[in-house]
Amino acid sequence: MKATEGFEKLRLSVNGTDTVVLTLGDAAAPPLVFFHGAGTFHGWEFARPWASDFRVLIPHHPGFAESGDMDGLREFGDFVLHYGALFDQLGLHGDVNLVGLSLGGRLAARFAISQQHRLRRLVLVAPAGLRVPSAPADDLFRIPPEQIPARLVKNFDVLLPWLPTDPHDLDFAVDRYRETRTVATVAWDEPFDRVIPRWMRTMTVPTMVMWGDDDALIPVGQATAWADLVPDSDLCLFEDAGHLLLDESPAAVRAVAEFCK
Amino acid sequence: MSALDDLEFIFFHLMPYAPLPDGYQQHDSMWVDYPNSNFDPVTGHELYKRYWSELLLADKLGYDGVFVNEHHNTQFTMNAAPNLTAAAIIPHTSCRIGVYGTPPNFEYPNRLAEEYAMLDVMSGGRLEVAFPLGTGMEYWANSVNPATARARFREGLDVIFQAWTQPGPTAYAGEFYNYRYLNPWPTPHQKPHPPAYIVGSGSEETVELAAELGLGYSVVFIPTSAQLKVFDRYRERLAHHGHDIDRKKLTFGVMAYVAETDQQAEEEFMPHCMYFFETALKTTPRYLIPPGYVTVPEFRKRISGPDVHGNANWDDLTAINRIVAGSPEKVADSIANWAEEADVSRISLNLALGDMPHWKVVKNLTLFAEEVIPRLRAKKVAVV
Repeated sequence: MKATEGFEKLRLSVNGTDTVVLTLGDAAAPPLVFFHGAGTFHGWEFARPWASDFRVLIPHHPGFAESGDMDGLREFGDFVLHYGALFDQLGLHGDVNLVGLSLGGRLAARFAISQQHRLRRLVLVAPAGLRVPSAPADDLFRIPPEQIPARLVKNFDVLLPWLPTDPHDLDFAVDRYRETRTVATVAWDEPFDRVIPRWMRTMTVPTMVMWGDDDALIPVGQATAWADLVPDSDLCLFEDAGHLLLDESPAAVRAVAEFCK
Repeated sequence: MSALDDLEFIFFHLMPYAPLPDGYQQHDSMWVDYPNSNFDPVTGHELYKRYWSELLLADKLGYDGVFVNEHHNTQFTMNAAPNLTAAAIIPHTSCRIGVYGTPPNFEYPNRLAEEYAMLDVMSGGRLEVAFPLGTGMEYWANSVNPATARARFREGLDVIFQAWTQPGPTAYAGEFYNYRYLNPWPTPHQKPHPPAYIVGSGSEETVELAAELGLGYSVVFIPTSAQLKVFDRYRERLAHHGHDIDRKKLTFGVMAYVAETDQQAEEEFMPHCMYFFETALKTTPRYLIPPGYVTVPEFRKRISGPDVHGNANWDDLTAINRIVAGSPEKVADSIANWAEEADVSRISLNLALGDMPHWKVVKNLTLFAEEVIPRLRAKKVAVV
């Protein structure tokens, strides 16, 4: 199911954590790193067009997809440290374009706060983790897992190729359990990030906040709250797209490339 | 020595909130999110009084102990805080009192050590305790991360046993708990501490923890054949960690109902037993296993296995679990066989199950005490 054809797969050990990074595009091109969200089952097809302008790097977070679990993982700060070390190993010391979706958006924001010297552009796609009383999101853990796929996209056909034909597919359930377990480890006690509202204003990297108009997981009403929080930010909304904006909207994928050029 | 030589009979009362108002059949789960508007405090008051009377009756009838447990957000038990029930019955009983038990993760461990020590002192040394991790459902009801629950549980136990076994003040520095002065008053009446068990459903981690700490192991919610494997593994790991293998360290559960004839017992018992499995235990896979509650391999094992929470038929249930309804002879013979097969002599008896009315509980408790226990005691093998 994981269509990674054409991607090169790097396997690294980052402070003891087995880490897989998918790469695509010219190794000499400017780097564009994508931080995925809380589930990796929907693949990486959306990232292919970026390879014409960038070296695309898609690390699997510890505890997700093909990466191993991180010993002693407790909080988002552990992921930030992991990525600092991984970027060092990959030689990503500056001029990185960083794109993060959902949980990966929260992580990208946290990373940018302490590692902004490495970044050239930051793109937050429907990021998670901000408490927005005027547009509250449902707690991820309160949503029954069987209802989640339908809430990820506006057009369900986009997701169909990535879902198992048997709804009781054991391997699929086990993979989702493992990834949700990793999310719970860092986010069960802290669904709302404590650091981002306090420190985001110190981050000066040019940033684009993107959202699908029909996001049924994290409401588009949160977009302005994020844009208000980030000093140098553009806000881009896309019609007819849900939470997995990049999977649904080629225009959004193009907008990322334009912003990072 | 045979398991039949030192049998102990424990009346385990779940103290359920039953019967329920109409409409419960539409709910996927009778735990976690089954609305508490279905609880009527006036009915609840009557039930508490009734259940106290049943616990006190068991004491008068000569049971070795009466035990209660803890769950949250559920009709399954009215014991959200079983220490309160234990405290209420201690002055009126002389048997052993078991609190099986408060998950250390849902209280501060020094406070749990204090509460149990209070009960032990109040009862003059009659307390027994078990430490559950807590079912998956409890983690939806309490503000504790299921993904770090086992690490926290381990630390909580360390704090409690340090508080009980090392003269205070001491200090404890952990990841989840930090005590500058661990010095709880009172200290337990029994030395070094009340008999203590880990209660679990057979996961390798929990069995290993009980064996490592030399604590007893009390098993719930899995079929008999799986329990026997768990017992073997526990004994093997207990020896591995250098602890004595003592038959008192294991407990198995029996659901029993005694009546004049086998047929009458089945007729009187079956609807309540089915209510227990189909309704009282009913919940969803999601609530059973919150994220991180078990390891990934354990998750695979559990979702591949049979679902005992809400699916049941009588023949399957009685074939795979220790459930017996019958005449005193039949019940005594079944229990004797189970005790010998498991080589375990502590028997936790669910004699009040599901929506069983008071008269049946009284009848069952009385017949079991007067007709079954003497038959089992007479099966002693050793010459004393």
